Amino acid sequence: MEKGSKNYILDTSALISLESINILEQVLKLYSVTTTNSVIKELEEFAKYDDSYGEIAKSILKMKTKFTIESCEITESIKHLESTDNELYNLSLKKKLPLVTDETKIVHHTRHKIDVYFSPVFLILLLQAEYFTKEGVLDKLEKLSAIRNWGNNIIYLITKNQIEKL
Amino acid sequence: MFSATFIYQLLSYTIRVINMETEQFNIRMPKDLVQDLDIISKLLKVNKSEWVKTKLAEEVHEEKNKLLMELSTLYAKGMIGKKEIVQLVGRDIADEMESIKIIAEKSVKHGIEYGKRLKKLHS
Repeated sequence: MEKGSKNYILDTSALISLESINILEQVLKLYSVTTTNSVIKELEEFAKYDDSYGEIAKSILKMKTKFTIESCEITESIKHLESTDNELYNLSLKKKLPLVTDETKIVHHTRHKIDVYFSPVFLILLLQAEYFTKEGVLDKLEKLSAIRNWGNNIIYLITKNQIEKL
Repeated sequence: MFSATFIYQLLSYTIRVINMETEQFNIRMPKDLVQDLDIISKLLKVNKSEWVKTKLAEEVHEEKNKLLMELSTLYAKGMIGKKEIVQLVGRDIADEMESIKIIAEKSVKHGIEYGKRLKKLHS
């Protein structure tokens, strides 16, 4: 299957979100995904626990040969962000690749300088490309919202509203 | 049901709160409640004030998040604007909510565009 031309950088939160609704593998088949060594270390920390996030992290780590893992020097630091997040931001700047994250703090502090998206971008994308039905995608969105404790937050409401219109 | 990671985050928040700069906050409490606190303090072998501070930090964290979630729902539905949010909770939170809304909308737009391209590629 030919991969789409787009390459995305995913952080820990985005990887966990996508795997929690079982679409990470599909995304990896369709697009090139890059992440950092720091993200892998974070996932390894999560994987030490036997809770739901721990199990999700273990699943992601089993797939790590399917994505590109890099380190990036932090030449431009945003003070409100941790070093893992600053590294991802710098990687996005350096490679001119969009960053996918569900951390609202990262989105808020980087959106003027890089392309940044929330993980439901892939739900919309896969629906539009007819990999999933509308009902299937809505179901996955509900599940994602429950796992992430989004409730009726902005990400959930805007995504749901748009899916229903498609 | 709480996961280990959620408990870790809550504890981290609580520890940060306890280690922050402090301000005096006096409240009068019913005698019965003070006696109950004495019992807790003795059974758990903890300092009464520290225990109350910890419990209060947990409750404040949960309630704040719940209320901000409700506010963001109203904002996402267009029932209130950024101006009202600034007045209620300040510019920093209002700016962050605006960022989230903009990027949520941008994510949808990107998903539609690239979904169409992918469909074309595989058709």
